[in-house]
Amino acid sequence: MADHKQPPASTPPGVCRGRLAEESAGGADSPAPRACDDRPVVLSTHGLTKRFGKLVAVDHLDLAVCRGDVFGFLGPNGAGKTTTIRMIFGLIFPTSGYAEVAGHRVPGERVAALRHLGGFVEVPAFYPNMSARRNLRLIGSAGGDASEGRITEVLDTVGLLTRGDSRVGGYSHGMKQRLGIANALLNSPDVIILDEPTSGLDPQGMKDVRELVRELGKVGTTVFLSSHLLHEIEQVCNRAVIINRGRTVVEGPVATLRPRDEAVKVMTGDQQKAFETARALFGAQGVSWDEGYLVVRAGDEGVPELVRRLVADGVAVRAVVPAVEQGLEEFFLGLTQSSDADGGRGEPAGRRARQPCAAWAASSSRSSFNGAPTSAGRVCWPCRC
Amino acid sequence: MTLLRLELSKTLNQKRTYIGWVGLVLVPVIVVAAGSLQKPRPQAPGEPPFVAHVSQNGLLVMLSVLIALAAFLLPIIAAMGGASSVASEAETGTLKTWLTRPVSRAAVLLTKWAMAVLYALAGAALVAVVSLIAGVLAFGLHPLVTLSGTTMGVQQALALIGLAYLLVVAGAVCSLSIAFFISTLTDSSLTAATIAIAVFTVLTILNAFSVFDFMKPYTYSTYRLAFLNLFRFPIYWPPIRQALVNYGVTTALLLLAAWAVFSRKDILT
Ligand SMILES: Nc1ncnc2c1ncn2[C@@H]1O[C@H](COP(=O)(O)OP(=O)(O)OP(=O)(O)O)[C@@H](O)[C@H]1O
Ligand SMILES: [Mg+2]
Repeated sequence: MADHKQPPASTPPGVCRGRLAEESAGGADSPAPRACDDRPVVLSTHGLTKRFGKLVAVDHLDLAVCRGDVFGFLGPNGAGKTTTIRMIFGLIFPTSGYAEVAGHRVPGERVAALRHLGGFVEVPAFYPNMSARRNLRLIGSAGGDASEGRITEVLDTVGLLTRGDSRVGGYSHGMKQRLGIANALLNSPDVIILDEPTSGLDPQGMKDVRELVRELGKVGTTVFLSSHLLHEIEQVCNRAVIINRGRTVVEGPVATLRPRDEAVKVMTGDQQKAFETARALFGAQGVSWDEGYLVVRAGDEGVPELVRRLVADGVAVRAVVPAVEQGLEEFFLGLTQSSDADGGRGEPAGRRARQPCAAWAASSSRSSFNGAPTSAGRVCWPCRC
Repeated sequence: MTLLRLELSKTLNQKRTYIGWVGLVLVPVIVVAAGSLQKPRPQAPGEPPFVAHVSQNGLLVMLSVLIALAAFLLPIIAAMGGASSVASEAETGTLKTWLTRPVSRAAVLLTKWAMAVLYALAGAALVAVVSLIAGVLAFGLHPLVTLSGTTMGVQQALALIGLAYLLVVAGAVCSLSIAFFISTLTDSSLTAATIAIAVFTVLTILNAFSVFDFMKPYTYSTYRLAFLNLFRFPIYWPPIRQALVNYGVTTALLLLAAWAVFSRKDILT
């Protein structure tokens, strides 16, 4: 992150420094967000914007995917995921901004960029009257090589080897999806973009695809995976961004994407005494009651300290269990809805963004989110401003 | 070149490719059948030459068939080929699959156009060969009586007929290019083919009215029977030259227009 993106002094560190639209308002010339430490950025978007008439489908989107990332691209229906991916592939032209793949700009240097890219947009499309093998040979030979050995290899990878010679027209949805992945892998590109690869698959199919993506990540392939399932992203990705209405809502390492269950429920021999101890440690706001249990917002590091103090005070600790506060999907819904409430569809870009988020950050003395700075020195949380 | 090879392999793998060709090949078969049934008769007023005498010479089958091709069949088949090249792939989504490959849009566009031309050319060649074989088997091979009443040897006649077929294909390429251009505008190959055929039909009708004579030199449909001038003695070149210039300009303009659209087009399907 460039210097000018350091948080203003009024913003508490580590909180609400999310890269909201105003920070990317620099547009096409804004530098690639640096989030990779020493790994190179292989895929990025810079102020990427697409309008369809009055509708802003993608709104000054800045993304940075580092080599070796399995990057989750998360958003509800109509968030602009497919539109973004289309622009990265050069299938559609951005209204403003650009994407960059392995140092080549799209749409400017589309062909050079596509040499490093594989994948599919929405439903992978093939010639139904030809076999999978023939399709791969045909499509893979355009601007690349597709040896029979390699075709066999990728068909094997996606579990289609035995059906490789049958007509694609007779394939099930899941098989077509797998063939799409095989086609993405065929020319061994640096970056693979998969647009909702598990959509419409049965549970086994989903599991297989996720397994495959994880495997790809392990061998160092960079994967850009779009999805509207938070738990899917959590299973396979190391970093992710959540978008809604074409704008970034949250971005960061997957582990920090949603609130940790930082509160614990405590049961002791002397709950009243434990209450006093906990309040002394974490303040009145950090302690509450729930059906006889003491609920303490201790944070990850706070729990051992709490237990040590209780034991030192002679309180018998019977149980410390995580207090599940919020389900995954509710969290996701909350995020996207709060950003829905912020700006009407088609509202001029940047209006919402101009509002300061320091206010929200300052007013929430306890961050219910895990606000620890990431390795990139940047954590982006939804700003409910 | 790789792209053209791939395109060819793809086209030869599609059923509709053969349906179009079979339709074309039916023409000589019908002409030979009709020629066998009819008695030699004088040419009717307004009737194109050669047709009336088809049963006297196998070569006349080639020419009669060519007249039918030029008048409507080849423009239609070529328009279908041109229309399917971009739009039908947009329909099935495979255009998107191609454009995620590292190939330039210009190459994709030009390849598809070249493939459509190749298709029309192959269709015409097929018809020529079938006409020759069927005609010779049915009516024998004899020196050709030209439109000027002179006689030319079989070899020279065959060479000129070959040239005539090429000229008709060149005319069909105009129809094809119209369909091709429209197929970059719409995602429906049916729309593109229909519009191209409609344009050809309307132009042909307009050409028939003298009020529209002022536009005659500029419409490619004017020249669809220009090849007949090859069979005069001596050959009357000016209309053939005009036809070639017209076809060239028409095709070039349409290709430029197609590129203007396709190079900036959002591929959404
Ligand atoms: N061709 C188009 N014309 C007009 N609006 C469009 C077009 N394509 C997309 N949009 C709009 O842009 C927005 C983003 O669409 P997009 O397909 O990118 O969403 P998505 O995140 O991929 O959603 P999903 O999860 O349903 O696939 C939507 O509001 C959609 O209606
Ligand atoms: Mg989508």
